[in-house]
Amino acid sequence: MKKVNKEVLKDAANRLYFDMTDDEYETLLEEFDTIQEEFELMGQICGVDEVTPMTFPFDVSIDYLRDDIPETPLDVEDVLKNAGNVKDGQIKLPKVVG
Amino acid sequence: MENSMNFETIVGIEIHVEMKTKSKMFSLAPITFGDKPNTEVALLDMAFPGTMPRVNKEAVRNAIRVSNALHMSIDQELWFDRKNYFYSDLPKGYQITQQARPIGSKGYLEIEIDGEKKRIHIERLHMEEDTCMQHHFSDYTLLDYNRAGIPLIEIVSKPEIRSGLEARKYVEKIREIVTFSNVSDGKMEEGSLRCDVNVSIRPYGSNDFGTKVEVKNLNSIANVEKAIDFEAKRQSELLLMGKEVEQETRRFDEAKKETVLMRKKTDAADYKYFTEPNIPPIKLSDKFVEDAIATCPELYDHKLERFLNDYKLNSVDAKILLADVDFSLYYDEAAKSTKLYQPLANFMISEVNGYLNKNNISINEFKVDAKYISELVELLQSKKINSSQGKEIFAKLVKENKSPLALQKELGAILISDEETIRKLVLEVLEQNVTLRDDYKAGKTRAQGFVMGQIMKKTGGKVNPGVANKVIIEELKK
Amino acid sequence: MNYLDLTLSEIHEALVNKKVTPLELTKEAIKRAKENKDNAFELIIEEDAIKKATELSNHEVPKDNYFYGIPYVAKDNFSTKGYETNASSNILKGYVPLFDATAIEALNKAGAILIGKSTLDELAMGGTGTSGHLGTTFNPYDPTHTHLIGGSSCGSAVAVSDSIVPFALGSDTGDSIRKPASHSGLVGLKPTWGLISRFGLFPFAPSMDHVGFFTRSVKDSAIALNLLAFHDDKDSTSAFKEKEDYVANLNSEVKGKKIAVVSEILNSIQDKTIKSAFENLIKKLEKDGAEVNYVNFSRDLLNAIYPTYMVISCAESTSNNANLDGIKFGPYLGGKTYQEVIYNARTNGFSPLIKRRFVLGSYSLMRENQHDLFLRAQKARRLIVDKCNELFNQYDAIVLPASPTPAPLIKGSNEKVQKDYLAADNWLAIGNFGGFPSITLPMGFENELPFGVNVTCKPYDEVNMFNIALNIEKNTGFAGLSYQNHKEKDGK
Repeated sequence: MKKVNKEVLKDAANRLYFDMTDDEYETLLEEFDTIQEEFELMGQICGVDEVTPMTFPFDVSIDYLRDDIPETPLDVEDVLKNAGNVKDGQIKLPKVVG
Repeated sequence: MENSMNFETIVGIEIHVEMKTKSKMFSLAPITFGDKPNTEVALLDMAFPGTMPRVNKEAVRNAIRVSNALHMSIDQELWFDRKNYFYSDLPKGYQITQQARPIGSKGYLEIEIDGEKKRIHIERLHMEEDTCMQHHFSDYTLLDYNRAGIPLIEIVSKPEIRSGLEARKYVEKIREIVTFSNVSDGKMEEGSLRCDVNVSIRPYGSNDFGTKVEVKNLNSIANVEKAIDFEAKRQSELLLMGKEVEQETRRFDEAKKETVLMRKKTDAADYKYFTEPNIPPIKLSDKFVEDAIATCPELYDHKLERFLNDYKLNSVDAKILLADVDFSLYYDEAAKSTKLYQPLANFMISEVNGYLNKNNISINEFKVDAKYISELVELLQSKKINSSQGKEIFAKLVKENKSPLALQKELGAILISDEETIRKLVLEVLEQNVTLRDDYKAGKTRAQGFVMGQIMKKTGGKVNPGVANKVIIEELKK
Repeated sequence: MNYLDLTLSEIHEALVNKKVTPLELTKEAIKRAKENKDNAFELIIEEDAIKKATELSNHEVPKDNYFYGIPYVAKDNFSTKGYETNASSNILKGYVPLFDATAIEALNKAGAILIGKSTLDELAMGGTGTSGHLGTTFNPYDPTHTHLIGGSSCGSAVAVSDSIVPFALGSDTGDSIRKPASHSGLVGLKPTWGLISRFGLFPFAPSMDHVGFFTRSVKDSAIALNLLAFHDDKDSTSAFKEKEDYVANLNSEVKGKKIAVVSEILNSIQDKTIKSAFENLIKKLEKDGAEVNYVNFSRDLLNAIYPTYMVISCAESTSNNANLDGIKFGPYLGGKTYQEVIYNARTNGFSPLIKRRFVLGSYSLMRENQHDLFLRAQKARRLIVDKCNELFNQYDAIVLPASPTPAPLIKGSNEKVQKDYLAADNWLAIGNFGGFPSITLPMGFENELPFGVNVTCKPYDEVNMFNIALNIEKNTGFAGLSYQNHKEKDGK
């Protein structure tokens, strides 16, 4: 596991496209201490690494697929109604490079 | 000093194929391509909170068909994962893909170079969804969500390709499979088939791989070949100068015919994959998989065999017909109404193809029923019309899509085939040229041609030449 | 007394017998919503609600449709067409959905009248009812506003316990319905995962998210599940399950039923009032013929519930909320590059708590940490669920106090990752790990604050769960409990 320090957390936050105040990073560091401690303990639970990870609460597998039949799409006005920056029937952003 | 011949080129190719299903991969928005921006968008494509994905059956069928054509093993339980990253063209902030369990794995295809076959192994084939389209302007970018969510197949080869030529053959083969199976229109220039190639070089005999360079933006098969050959040369020159190949992403500059740097690669991006919790595992029955394969439209190799064996076409013509899947389908359709397979092929290749090229349209935009082409070929072959009449009828046919027999009447494009009518004409000529019979009997075969010329002149060329020849000889011999 | 102080089924009867009209109910509900001082509403829907109620009042009330003319409230993380839905987060301010969630659609179709959208912990990611962008939501049982109501479905809990409406939609990812139900004297249910469509519910952690609701009686809870449990094509995880009639199957018979009480959890509870109320309840269950056994779960596994929940829910949430970038909806704050646009929207739109959760979740998913954090949590989840299923092989239900204390004080409580926690404070999350049907209902009062008991059963065993709950309700006499009628009963 990666060692946690403020830089690591700041990097993680920036990769999620936001920043926090220094105080919040301090709080977060404390929280990480707790969680990591817990997880080290959890690593010692008998059999924990022998089972497969569980995503779904129980066997939910299905044998159903949707037919390829399109529905009426949204009106352009509706598509753009909630967007804050629109031009010529499209959403506008500063020029995307790379 | 070593030369570049001492380096082996190692290429791996990732191909994204845009499917032509009626609706998107996970949403029910229609796909028709080339529509006005943001007119083919469903709630999910905009990532509105609370919207959920629903897997498209036809997309799964397509993935099975291509996997099967590539001799892959097919996972009969579908699992989807989230690939998490932020980008302006990615509405949800993640892409739904199949990271852990691709539907197809461990396959291969065969390419042929100078009559020699080579097997390229394919690591994986998986389904995923496309991002939205970005239109770049001088100082801003506009987002069109019509493309967001269109189903994609990604096919990843093993790094077993050794040259630009092999790469070209590989991509051609993939394109052939996805177009013949009707999965995609496979147009690289329009982005429905996209190639990213990873190129590295190493000294012959070495088992280690050199530093990989990724080349993107390859919008034609020819450019795939050129880009790889350029890249191999560039890398070997670097190594020979004692420099290092750097891990980077480059793009092919069409004008300069060379690859140019896009960005240096830092640490491989971490996409924080995890199982998509909104799609339960989907079990595919044996029957579903078998049906998908059994109902797959005929693939190239099988079709070629059939064109050679059933239609008895020569292989050059068969391959020309098969160069475009829709053209071959049109031929198949026309072949239902005639047994004159080779003449039909000739007509398709010369007349129909010529017309398409001249008007810069595809066979799908050609508005003539296939059976009418057969009818016209039959008219020509039976000599009921001559070739110039044929051209006249064809010109009208492409405009009106009417039976050539009817058009023949309308145009009065009739050849005189009645023996007695022709005999009268021949006798008229012989009476006016009394020496002809003797000339003919004396061995001057020119007499025969003279008579033909005269009756053609009299009728404006509307005499069936076969019948006329027979009558002329009969009369000359008298 | 007003008809709104009754249970949903009682109000329905009054509607059928023309003692009250949908319009009168709706007007009163809106009035009460406006008068309420507990910060329970993001939005009160007046005009459209009155319009619909007027229309419904012109018709005969169908006897078999319990929801006809019933005013209700939905947590503000249910997509509602034409009404701003912001999940109590600034990043969604001004977002007006184009569609109704499936649950909303079903309620509206049945003739229920949506009168408001209720507050929640921001994006449903909290358990205190203090983290929404409008601030703390208070507990009606505490007019001094010093105690929590709990979250994240805090506003919906207020709406039902303060008799504004007899029914409110909530969502439950860890205990977000069942914990506030305990603190506000309500029946709070989340059924089996997949039984109610999640389409239109803003996702927090889809593998544990459930749609559920608050009512004031067990019967009302069964009535609501009858309406909302159906297969929905729009949610691929929606169950294909034959429809059951939870109301027709409702009875309080517990004879021969085997009930497990997890000793480690019960023993960790210090509160004597809760303990003795629970012991009394067990005695009554036994008297009615149930067989109750005290079982051990495993202290390690119980300790693992909280960190497992934190890591899985935060990891899934960071991905589910990656669509919140200010580009397609939500406030657009500009920027010189597209990166700046996203960065500005998210930096300003999320509270510090949410950001910390996202960082924790994202960190847990990183390639180098995934094995030790996210995957380990998913493995622990399996062990915990396996252990529950082991119990369900022998027992019909797990019955325990829903919370180790009545509503805690607001002061001193926070949403920081806890160092010392009680299994009894977090055990309800096993219902989310295993997708088990789980219902909380009132068990008693301590210093005028209610506390609840919870019944959890194996998947799709709702009938059994309702029957045990109904038996408990009979024994406690708390059917129909609300702050209003509790106050009246006490003569205050």
